Amino acid sequence: MFKLDRKLITSASVIAVAGLFAIGCSGGSAATPGDVAYKNGKATIDGGTYYPIVDGQTGPYAVNEAARNGGFTYGRKPTQNEIDAWNKDVMPDGTGLPEGSGSVEEGEELYEAQCVMCHGDFGSGASGTAGGYPALSKGNAYEMQKTMTNQRSGDNKDGDGPARAFGSYWPQTSTLWWYIQSGMPHPNTKSLSNDETYALTAYILSINEIVIDGEEVDDEYVLDREKFLKIQLPNENGFVPNIDGPNAPEDVRKFYANAKNFGAQNLNQGAVRCMKDCQADTVKTVYVKGAGISDFNPPMSVVRDMPKEEGPFDPAAAYEAACAACHAGYLSPGASEWAGYTGKGIEKVYANGINGTEGGMPAKGGSSLSDAEFKMVVDYLIKGK
Amino acid sequence: MNKVQENSTENTVSDRRAFFKKTAAISTVAAAAVVAPQNLLASEDDHAIMHHPAWAQKLGDPVTANLYGMPSKYEHNNTRRNTPLLASGNWQASIAVTPIHESCGIITPNGLFFSRCHGGTAQIDPNEFRLMIHGELERDIVLTYDQLRRYPSVTRTHFIECPANGGQEWRATQFNSVQFAKGFMASAEWTGVYIKDILKDLGLKKETALWMLAEGSDNSEMGRTIPIDKVLDDAMLVWGQNGEALRPEQGYPVRLLVPGWEGNLCVKWLKRLEFASEPFYCKEETAKYTALRKDGKAIQHFYANEVNSTVTSPSPEKPWTDLKDGDLIEIEGLAWSGMGTITGVDFSFDGGRNYVPAQLKGLVLPKSWTRWSIMHTYKKGQVLQLTSRAMDDAGYIQPTVDQEVGQLGVEGVYHRNAVETWEVTKDGKVNHVQIRS
Repeated sequence: MFKLDRKLITSASVIAVAGLFAIGCSGGSAATPGDVAYKNGKATIDGGTYYPIVDGQTGPYAVNEAARNGGFTYGRKPTQNEIDAWNKDVMPDGTGLPEGSGSVEEGEELYEAQCVMCHGDFGSGASGTAGGYPALSKGNAYEMQKTMTNQRSGDNKDGDGPARAFGSYWPQTSTLWWYIQSGMPHPNTKSLSNDETYALTAYILSINEIVIDGEEVDDEYVLDREKFLKIQLPNENGFVPNIDGPNAPEDVRKFYANAKNFGAQNLNQGAVRCMKDCQADTVKTVYVKGAGISDFNPPMSVVRDMPKEEGPFDPAAAYEAACAACHAGYLSPGASEWAGYTGKGIEKVYANGINGTEGGMPAKGGSSLSDAEFKMVVDYLIKGK
Repeated sequence: MNKVQENSTENTVSDRRAFFKKTAAISTVAAAAVVAPQNLLASEDDHAIMHHPAWAQKLGDPVTANLYGMPSKYEHNNTRRNTPLLASGNWQASIAVTPIHESCGIITPNGLFFSRCHGGTAQIDPNEFRLMIHGELERDIVLTYDQLRRYPSVTRTHFIECPANGGQEWRATQFNSVQFAKGFMASAEWTGVYIKDILKDLGLKKETALWMLAEGSDNSEMGRTIPIDKVLDDAMLVWGQNGEALRPEQGYPVRLLVPGWEGNLCVKWLKRLEFASEPFYCKEETAKYTALRKDGKAIQHFYANEVNSTVTSPSPEKPWTDLKDGDLIEIEGLAWSGMGTITGVDFSFDGGRNYVPAQLKGLVLPKSWTRWSIMHTYKKGQVLQLTSRAMDDAGYIQPTVDQEVGQLGVEGVYHRNAVETWEVTKDGKVNHVQIRS
């Protein structure tokens, strides 16, 4: 097996390594792209071992080097419309961010209609069918950013940990805008206009009490592209290693070249492989408290027996799987608001559920239930049993 | 075990006389089952040997019965599992973890491969699959599924691990289970194409193409930024998983594979690769998958899963309650590193105070699960604390719990790889513990 580790690459063996690359490249007219990352003795980007393709071999694997010279003509050039349709990412410098605007007030209206059932009042988070939906704010972002050094250990064992939410933790608002438009609302993504996305972004900035260019994002605030590009979040510089600018790859390589930066132990960097008497006499054994977390689905078992036969169709279970993501907080099972929908007759309610509605109800909740099964779930939702 | 016998009786007994004969046998087994469920009585003829079960006399299933084969029904407890703690509001933003206590060798069956998604498992029509590759290239390209599969294929065995594997236990152990403490990972033989082989014809602009966005086509359109070094080393676009097409839970029809790195970077249901001079600041590399250190700085772009190991047998799921004094037993486990090849595993019977070398077994591959074991003579009533500690060829060795917490604090969530300890109680049960100062 041929391998090189980071230490070898950065040590006096650099000349020998370069020689091997020269052999590896001799089959093609141009240098293989794989060599670029590691020539001139650069460390690997993750601090790990590099297995170059040498003499038709990478690590233990044989490689058909004749297949690696390019010359393939598959596919076609995408049209500009196709690229525009898919190239929707928004970068911190504003690349990809369209023109548009939206107010905090409009954002709040949208939030109340499409987001509050999962993210809770004022973005405080809410419990769902499984675990909790994320909070979008944990209070004033500038104050909460100061909690990043909180550790729930020692004297603060039962105290507060770091309050990680959009305003206090995220480095960039471009991430929020992009994610709202591509990944939200959760059951019906990619359905918000640019202006609606600006409005929701403005609302989330406001509940985090963000100040843009000296101006607090209050109820009257209208966010547009120009103002957006002036946003600076309090934790922008809370991340390592540096990943911005032309020198970023080298900064990342340097970071991972030092095991201490990421809590690792490396025997080539002074760590010790202790074999005898490696602990103080005072160490303690920490046990799982009680049964610990053990609400496993299915329950833990290693028994080898015949599975229980499946029972009849269970609308409550189908509700949990297909509907509860939205309906836990809105028209929940047995909720009195159902009275406002059943007035036009149960068949109308069935039809809306089966076909979906413009109000955001996906057809059959996105499930693959049969019509008969789905109607049983609707009955369950209305009656709550 | 009593239950096993009863159920298998229902399944195989065909006449009333046989039923009574069998019930008599069961009651003897049941009495003995409390202590040693899998062992046979020394003094009596074993019913399982002394009668012809139904499967030995009746015709079995025709070859037409399972055109796509399924596991034995008796294996129904060998499944992925989930828990509400590991869900962000619903089961579409959640994880189902692999039963590594039942895993054999270094390959996970496709149906048991851990499954993580942010907007549910997308069910993609491969006829509508398109892969767009664009950005800092001389030539942008769009490919169909069939066209992508025309590229020369590469097959590699690699684990994929969620960097939150073990991440619930920075402050203390919480899961008395190896499936949940260490099962946010699985391993497969992947088939696909090196991205660098596709790029040869697309004219990558070396000065400005420093990062690659990989974006999924699922509900959440999950995306991540990959540095160009990895793209030009061993990153692959894969369509094959253990000899068949990817499973939907693993990104059918095509996912990114960045060997050894965070599972989250191996973007599933892939639709787009974009090359750029600056990173993309995707949600899953800012809000999540960043590891907050005690100095208040979070590690971003934390790529490789570091060297790690665990004992799989015994484990809380696979205790030693049936062992007799003096039994010779193999202690077995997994070691893995996303930063290289496993070079050795040290083993401790006293929670990491003293170590002896364990033995590696089978194939030892880069960025792959590696099996190891050590033989042990069981002494009834003896309390043990079993700890494994792996090393890789990049020089990394697993830290102690104290070392890792000392450097990083307890709030990082991701990339915890301190040594794991199982305590074997005097009656052979196994509990998950940590040894801390």
